Amino acid sequence: MEKVEKKLREEAKKLLAEKKVDVIVGYEAGTLPLTATPVFITTPEEADKLVWNSFCQHNLAKYVHDLIMANRDSQKRLKPEDRKRKVVGVVTKGCTSRSLVIHLQERQYERLDTVILGVPCTGYMDRKKLAAKLGGEDILEGSLDGANLKIKTASGEKTIALKEVLAENCLTCRINNPVISDAMMGEPAPAMDTAAEYAGVDEFEKLTPEERWAYFKKEMAKCIRCAACRQACPSCYCKVCFAEQSMPQWVGISEDPSDTQVFQFMRMFHMVGRCVDCGSCISVCPMGVDLRKFLKKLDKDCVTLFSQRAGEKIDFPAPLQDQRMDDKEEFIYSPGGGH
Amino acid sequence: MSHHDKPAGKKSEGWEPKIVAIVCNWCTYAGADLAGISRIQYPPNVRIIRLPCTGRINPFYIVKALQAGADGVLVSGCHPGECHYLTGNLSARRKFATLKSFLNYIGLEDGRATFTWVSASEGERFAQVIKGVTERVRALGPATKLVKKLRDVDVAAAK
Repeated sequence: MEKVEKKLREEAKKLLAEKKVDVIVGYEAGTLPLTATPVFITTPEEADKLVWNSFCQHNLAKYVHDLIMANRDSQKRLKPEDRKRKVVGVVTKGCTSRSLVIHLQERQYERLDTVILGVPCTGYMDRKKLAAKLGGEDILEGSLDGANLKIKTASGEKTIALKEVLAENCLTCRINNPVISDAMMGEPAPAMDTAAEYAGVDEFEKLTPEERWAYFKKEMAKCIRCAACRQACPSCYCKVCFAEQSMPQWVGISEDPSDTQVFQFMRMFHMVGRCVDCGSCISVCPMGVDLRKFLKKLDKDCVTLFSQRAGEKIDFPAPLQDQRMDDKEEFIYSPGGGH
Repeated sequence: MSHHDKPAGKKSEGWEPKIVAIVCNWCTYAGADLAGISRIQYPPNVRIIRLPCTGRINPFYIVKALQAGADGVLVSGCHPGECHYLTGNLSARRKFATLKSFLNYIGLEDGRATFTWVSASEGERFAQVIKGVTERVRALGPATKLVKKLRDVDVAAAK
């Protein structure tokens, strides 16, 4: 990982010095131990701030979209020939690259607007899992030593295997290396345990409808509709979200549980063929709603119905942009059976 | 939250299923017309909403209908390959395949949302679809999941 980090800094310096990019979005060490936070780098000198480690959790595609859109909006009043492209360099792991592919499939910006610095990913640490392991104790000091975390808390020093606190989505990640990149930092990372990818969904499907509804209701009852999931999601980039539209008002604002259920249901349903399982929504959720149980189902359906994964291939339309005459249609109702 | 858990019991006496049918202008609506012209009888439980094409249907329409108290939603358009706009119903098919699967996954009963194709010449099939869907929804009883209950109305009804 140090090698990747070194190469990343060199590459970033070069790109900035040669003015091939205007800004590089990457990760820097966070202010708390065992954290990393997004950073925006515009000069070669700052490039040494960049880090790449198991705490780099954010899906930076969100910022790429934000930066390019902000640049575009700021130049609205200029003549087309006077407008300048803002090239965004981005440190890209598997899920980030898939989100970038989705943006490109959806014609949000052009490939030329980004320079993709690919990094191999072996998963990120789930802070909520770690906090549970430490019983909520504050981390005073912490470092990563090979495959173990060395942590100092008020009650003493502890060693925890990184594997035990990796995020759920990382443990079964299928695409942990970038699907597109302009420069790859280091060798591709080994695959994770993909066999168990849909284990949670398969289990849930076996429950009765009543049991599933009870679980959905219970999870959605936790939601306070802060919309943090939406803000963090790289696929949620609409200028006006359906949740805030008033003509028509898609989602009611009452305290009735169905309003929250409908909001969550529709936000999740917008992720058909668009959710890359980066875990952003889950990590920002202040109430710990089990969104992944439902989002992963959409991914599974995409694979079983359309043989596609979100953002997997750049030269291929997204699942819901595409259609085939011979798509499966077992769900179509036919009175008296048969077609 | 308790009002959401109310068993169908009392309410289902004299209850008639309310079904919202969202249909395309070119095939199913014409099919419904044909059923009418041919004087084919079908249950009066269905409220038809006509749209240009099933591809025009926002999945939200279906969810909103369920939230607003529809006991069942039916979506029907042209048979695949016969879309007036060539591929509108094929796009719709992908959308609805995932929507139905996702609705079932969160625990809605299978018969609440129904998708089918009825062409302009299938007046008989239209009547059969409405009959079949009405029977299915009737067997399920009044919808309780995702339904928004207006408290004031509930309180007034209780008095």
